[in-house]
Amino acid sequence: MRLLLVEDNVPLADELIASLGRQGYAVDWLADGRDADYQGSSEPYDLIILDLGLPGKPGLEVLRDWRARALPTPVLILTARGSWAERIEGLKAGADDYLTKPFHPDELLLRIQALLRRAHGLANQPLLQAGGLELDEARQCCRRNGEDIQLTAGEFRLLRYFMLHPGQLLSKSQLTEHLYDGESERDSNVIEVHVNRLRGKLGRELIETRRGQGYRFGASA
Amino acid sequence: MKSIRRSLSLGLVAGLLVVALLLVQTSLWLFEAGLKRSLENDLREETEGLLIAMVKGPDGIRLDTQRLNPRYQRPFSGHYFRIELPDRTWRSRSLWDAVPAWPETSGLADDLLEGPQQQRLLAYRAVYRRDGQPIVISVAQDYTPILESFARVRLSGLGLVGVALLVFLLLQRYAMALAFRPLERARQQIAQLQQGQRQQLDNQAPMELQPLVEQINRLLTQTEESLQRSRHALGNLGHALKTPLAVLGSLVQRDELRAHPQLQASLQEQLEQIRQRVSRELTRARLAGEVLPGAHFNCAVELPHLLDTLRMVHQRNLQLRWSAPSDCRLPWDREDMLELLGNLLDNACKWARSEVVLSIKPSAEGYRLRVDDDGPGIPANERAPVLERGVRLDERAEGHGLGLGIVRDILNAWGGTLSLQDSPLGGLRVEIELPGK
Repeated sequence: MRLLLVEDNVPLADELIASLGRQGYAVDWLADGRDADYQGSSEPYDLIILDLGLPGKPGLEVLRDWRARALPTPVLILTARGSWAERIEGLKAGADDYLTKPFHPDELLLRIQALLRRAHGLANQPLLQAGGLELDEARQCCRRNGEDIQLTAGEFRLLRYFMLHPGQLLSKSQLTEHLYDGESERDSNVIEVHVNRLRGKLGRELIETRRGQGYRFGASA
Repeated sequence: MKSIRRSLSLGLVAGLLVVALLLVQTSLWLFEAGLKRSLENDLREETEGLLIAMVKGPDGIRLDTQRLNPRYQRPFSGHYFRIELPDRTWRSRSLWDAVPAWPETSGLADDLLEGPQQQRLLAYRAVYRRDGQPIVISVAQDYTPILESFARVRLSGLGLVGVALLVFLLLQRYAMALAFRPLERARQQIAQLQQGQRQQLDNQAPMELQPLVEQINRLLTQTEESLQRSRHALGNLGHALKTPLAVLGSLVQRDELRAHPQLQASLQEQLEQIRQRVSRELTRARLAGEVLPGAHFNCAVELPHLLDTLRMVHQRNLQLRWSAPSDCRLPWDREDMLELLGNLLDNACKWARSEVVLSIKPSAEGYRLRVDDDGPGIPANERAPVLERGVRLDERAEGHGLGLGIVRDILNAWGGTLSLQDSPLGGLRVEIELPGK
């Protein structure tokens, strides 16, 4: 899952990047509203965390412009403006969720999880469920038939992406785009390695290879 | 209360009355004086006629009755005379047995004499000399018909004055209604302002009212601008305080601190206290209270968005419904009202199983707002302590813990009251009574 964090406060951004990274999210960070306006709609983000008081261009205007250009990416507003009138403004501009500062870090993670699931049309359950698996995002492990299966960070990221897109054909380039942030080196072989490891842990039939097209998760389930 | 209209009417009536009475009475006096002068002439001629009727007979002067006007012969005819010679006196037959108090001085008598049959007589006395002896001739004429007609004239004059007063009053009322129309319009507009149905007074006021209207409008704009400025500044201050708090909150979670659970816990507790305090005070400072008379909250416009926002924040498939009279405009600041309802509904959403209902109804004093949920509710014996602490009704639910404190601040500013009741939905009902304006 690749997220865009738009936040002009550097210490907070550092904290958020670290904590989101620990949760297996690839995070791109921008501090200026004008950059966010451009990059938010040109890169394939799965979710955008948007501060409202931004230099360059106010967050609400950035959001309005994204929505005017029909950007479907779910947007979570993270702001100090906590009055109900301001929350309503955020919703009207096209936000999908609204979290006010200061917040509990876990609260932000839970809301990101819930928002991603909703954006992919999945019910809001405590654990992500797809293909006969349950994914515990807090502990970064998965469970099948009541049995815990430990995952590495790379495997967890990949499996989460698969489980949020059950039955969909996902190309390697699409997977790299969504699993790594804009600055890390992208090597599609790494994807292959992780897919093979997941197959080893969860069974070959769970991830189907379509030659020349990509992978499909949970097709048999 | 002092009314300009009433004092103007009173002034007009008093003025008209004094002028009209003076006019009627003076014209009557002048007319009577003229009449008396002309009557004096007539009476003098009468005395001259009587003098001619005195003829020299064989035994001195005698009165030739043939030459007398017949009205002196008819009893109580209203015309009388007395002729005095040093040695004898004649009186007209018309006097019959009456003895009026003839005047002692020559000329027209100042006072009217008492005549026969309640007649009041205007008398004239003239002294002539013939053959070396004085002849005093007094004549009198009944003045009652003239007095009566004066009384009639005075009465009808007063009647006319009355009618004229009435006509003037009606005209003045009409003129005042015309002149006061802009004032009345301004009054209505101020009432609308109070009820939140307009934000500014109409600038199309007459010259006399223009400065007042402009001043009020300027004040309204200034108040609104300063409210917006202060809200904006508070937003910035909030941003400046809350972002570092968020950083601290995140830092406290670090693994390095996990090794010292006591330190971490007390840091977290202190941070939470700062967070609560900052949020509460900043929200309280944002309240407009009663400063803006033109403020209003349009239910049909605002409530759907508020409920959408609550659905977004809670994401629990809750049934959120609202009901209000059609075209409902509450005369309070929009942001304050959103804050009040947002916090109440937010609380209800935290506790509700599936349903939250907001209803707004006009009541005897103003408006009654109710928020019902189908959650666990609060037992009757725990409600009073909850209200006394006043603040921490929502502390039991996770998330933001300052909802009711703000609700209380807003209600204090508006003079409203809050009570907790059983809801027909099974959970808690929060009922708010707001006094109207």
